[in-house]
Amino acid sequence: MIEMKNVTKYYGNYRALDDVSFSVQAGEVLGLLGPNGAGKTTAMRILTCFLPASSGSVSVDGFDVFDDSMEVRRRLGYLPETPPVYPEMTVRSYLKFVADIREVPSNDCNRRVDAVIERAGLVDHQQRVIGTLSKGYRQRVGLAQALVHDPAVLILDEPTVGLDPNQIIEIRNLIRDLAKDHTVILSTHILSEVSMTCKRVVIINEGRIVAEDSVENLERQGGAATTFRIGLRPASLDWKSCLSGIDGVKIESEHTDGPIVRFTMSLPTHAAYDAVFHSVVGKGHVFTEITPSRASLEEVFLRLTRSEENGNGGGNGSGSSATEGGNAA
Amino acid sequence: MKIFAIAKKELQTYFFSPVAYLVFASFLLVVGYLFWVVLVSSKLASLEPLLYNAAFVLLLVSPVLTMRLISEERRAGTMELLLTSPISPSEIVIGKFLACFILYLILIILTFQYPLIMSFYADKLDMGPIMSGYIGLILLGAAFISLGLFASSLCENQMIAAMLSFGGMLCFWIFGWAKYALDNAFGEILGKLSLFERYSEFIKGVVDSGNVLFFVVFIVLWLFMATRVVESDRWR
Repeated sequence: MIEMKNVTKYYGNYRALDDVSFSVQAGEVLGLLGPNGAGKTTAMRILTCFLPASSGSVSVDGFDVFDDSMEVRRRLGYLPETPPVYPEMTVRSYLKFVADIREVPSNDCNRRVDAVIERAGLVDHQQRVIGTLSKGYRQRVGLAQALVHDPAVLILDEPTVGLDPNQIIEIRNLIRDLAKDHTVILSTHILSEVSMTCKRVVIINEGRIVAEDSVENLERQGGAATTFRIGLRPASLDWKSCLSGIDGVKIESEHTDGPIVRFTMSLPTHAAYDAVFHSVVGKGHVFTEITPSRASLEEVFLRLTRSEENGNGGGNGSGSSATEGGNAA
Repeated sequence: MKIFAIAKKELQTYFFSPVAYLVFASFLLVVGYLFWVVLVSSKLASLEPLLYNAAFVLLLVSPVLTMRLISEERRAGTMELLLTSPISPSEIVIGKFLACFILYLILIILTFQYPLIMSFYADKLDMGPIMSGYIGLILLGAAFISLGLFASSLCENQMIAAMLSFGGMLCFWIFGWAKYALDNAFGEILGKLSLFERYSEFIKGVVDSGNVLFFVVFIVLWLFMATRVVESDRWR
């Protein structure tokens, strides 16, 4: 459905995207994940024909975004980072306007507008002036706007940013509901959002793809190296020496809390965990706490994006680079 | 159809906000006051002074009508909606021009009250110059709107757009004065560019095809430039 091939984008001398390639099948939900400023919005703007790529090609449903821009735009629904609404219009007149410029046939217009108002949960607000709505409701209007012409592809740029927890859950449910009959690309820097809504993830950092895989596979990689929060008792025993014997164990932010000593421990591989456990218990310690300190997807994300910062992650564009990045950290 | 969708939205925006009402009120108030003052003091059944005054007041108020047309889309981020919809920049620009022009025509129709009032008191009103004057006024308004629309396409800030269009209009208004200062070909050319010089011929009762053509070219030129600027948005 969507093909992005070797896309590079320069803003002046600044390279916002560097040789980015990915594809999305019809009916798939792809999460575009990355820290702020990674190039997610730029990638989406190129996809929606708002910005031209400096090089590379993008096609949607077989139509090139540059040569057949109008055909591509007919197939896309796009929610930019800030909902593109006119504050002085009412919800209903705004959606009718969008339906008109999105080429919804005029005899079908009212039905479509009613349908998206229903779907976005705006029935009680359709006569309100958009400027008086809260951020969450504006976001819904933005989503309704992206749906009004019943596009095959939905592109959502950080759809839950700035919403309160209840609204986030509502919007996520709405997106999951939409995913049943649409191809969706969604960008976010919130990891839990990806695991809840997407099947596949592309992780972008500084304009490059550092990983592209299914959520399950990425989470499995996250299991390879982990960080634990540890509590040990009693603090008086020599716990440090028995840990320093094991290769690659890193101890951070230790402090004593009464009879208990607490610290954070990173292990290079999962196998080292056994050695640590036996050695500590063998000395006569008791564990009071063992907590994996991060969700595994988060771990992968941090590993990939940090190794890029250190200049180690030379990988661009393929899923295999994910493991390289992991070893470097 | 998409042109009309844009035009309809812009007209809605004018009437949802106080802009249209304020412009109508201030324009009619000032022009009406000048109509009364001139009529009472001169006692002539001629619309000529009114048409001059209307053009001058228009020079002051038309930037208010045009300043937000494109700059506001850019500031509010709704340009992203328009440029990712299957609609071309020329449709956007023409739709916005149409909306503003329709609003302007309503304003002009409201000024028909002055010749009407005059016709009650005058023995015989000369309709020829009034008609040609109104043709001139409508063309002049359209020219101001297209120049203002272009100014609005250049910036994100409404105030800057208003200043740009006011400055631009004033330049085209006073170019004609060079004719009296410079007694050469250069002065002659500047005089030809003057909207005021051409407009005053309409008021005198002459509908010259050259003058009509000048206004039409002037309007199309600025609309074309505005289209190019909107198009260039995606290359920034």
